[in-house]
Amino acid sequence: MPSFNERQALDGLQRLESQAISAIYDQYFSEVYRYVRYRINDNRTAEDIASDVFVRLLEAAQKRQGPQSSLKGWLIATASHAVNDHLRRQYRRPEEALSDAIPDGRPSIHSEVDLRERNRMVQSAYAQLTPEQQHVLALRFGQGYSLEETAALLKKNINAVKALQFRALASLQRQIGEVSHE
Amino acid sequence: MNNLYDALEICLREIERGASIEAVLLRYPDLADELRPILEASVDAANSAVPLPSETVIQRNRAKVLQQAAQMRDAKAKSSHRTWFVTLRRLAVTLTVLIVLSVSGTGLVRASSATVPGDNLYPVKRTWEDVLVAFTFNVQQRDALEVEHENERLQELQELFAEGRSAKVDFNGSIKSQNGNLWLVSNISVMISDQTELRGQGIGVGRAVRVKGTTQGNDNVVLAERIELLSAGAKLPDSDDEPELQQEKHEDPAQQFEDNSNSGKGSEEAQTVEESKTPESESDNTDESVQDGSNHTNPESDSDSNSNDSHDDSNDNSGSTSNDESSHNSTDPSGGGSSYDNSGGDD
Repeated sequence: MPSFNERQALDGLQRLESQAISAIYDQYFSEVYRYVRYRINDNRTAEDIASDVFVRLLEAAQKRQGPQSSLKGWLIATASHAVNDHLRRQYRRPEEALSDAIPDGRPSIHSEVDLRERNRMVQSAYAQLTPEQQHVLALRFGQGYSLEETAALLKKNINAVKALQFRALASLQRQIGEVSHE
Repeated sequence: MNNLYDALEICLREIERGASIEAVLLRYPDLADELRPILEASVDAANSAVPLPSETVIQRNRAKVLQQAAQMRDAKAKSSHRTWFVTLRRLAVTLTVLIVLSVSGTGLVRASSATVPGDNLYPVKRTWEDVLVAFTFNVQQRDALEVEHENERLQELQELFAEGRSAKVDFNGSIKSQNGNLWLVSNISVMISDQTELRGQGIGVGRAVRVKGTTQGNDNVVLAERIELLSAGAKLPDSDDEPELQQEKHEDPAQQFEDNSNSGKGSEEAQTVEESKTPESESDNTDESVQDGSNHTNPESDSDSNSNDSHDDSNDNSGSTSNDESSHNSTDPSGGGSSYDNSGGDD
């Protein structure tokens, strides 16, 4: 696999070159999908949102409003906005509230009922966090990004991210406690 | 608090490398109670991480994105082909509109040129005058044009008097005499009433003023609504340079105006010392009368030998026009850029 040259890819993107678009997609789709899937407990929706992020990238590039430097930062930020929009729409339709379904690829055999129950509680608790708290946890624990990388993506300084992740985890722990008592 | 955040970060890194929660908490016994639930939550958060998408998912969405890109490319190509046609068509339409506008506009302006206040096309005439002034960039030519327009105002007044029409008028001039309520402003009789608004300090003989009022058709007089003192350098008509025109015009209308006109001229001659002329009518007179009036001489043109130059210079330096009722509004259209609401972008 040829090494990814971001500058070259961005230039090709402006001209809607298939080769550049393919290179960008191959480089980042999995990360974007993983981020979206962490925040939205539905495979199909996560897939749609992730691919839509790349379509938005094409549209933005055509309008010359696309990323100038950090492609990954632009994609993750756009994914975050798209997820927030999706969740907002979902909150307006309570009949389609957060699914308790066990996602594909998760253990589903009878012996792992406890783990499934724990996952369900964590997902319910996670859904109660603010978008910013969800975002930082998705980056740090869903994507496994370092503190420094997360700070760069959030455009915050490291100390601010340390405080944010502390509050997000404290909030998650509190919500798990509340969900488990329901 | 920073210690707590730092301790959490160190613990998270240790756990990521495989250490247990209890093991990492041994490093921070005083923070252990506070950190333990946070670290447990972090383990839950990490356990919720999802695997990478399957190859099927990747290929399916890859095709979707590339198809979208192909559609955009096609649309772009069609758009660029159409651009020439659209540009040519726009150019043709623009040229047609310009031709129609210039033909009809010129006709309108020509038709309005002979109008007087009260005529339907009179505003077109005044607007066209303003446009001409605005687009005359040579200062001397512009000054001459403005004086010409002020002469035209007086000409219009004579026509109104001749036709015995009442109409709203406004004109610039210098006060030649003040006989009670009847003033003579650039050879036009102006009637002052209690309702006349006088704007400015020191309105008197020799001062340049702007008169706004209504012609009294049968009396050859303008009933003044407002008389406003003009600033230095305001353009005045050069009516006194064309005495034969004034006299010729005055013969036709009612006798009263003729009397006023003649008496005005007579008194003007009699009062040469105290009166000041319009700057261009002063070529025969002294410089002092100009300075007593509204004009201030330019130090560079202080020579006694050239009073006309003195006037021209002061006008050149002022740059202001007397036609304060006409305004040129220019709107600055602002283009609003479209925004991409949901894109993160590099914001």
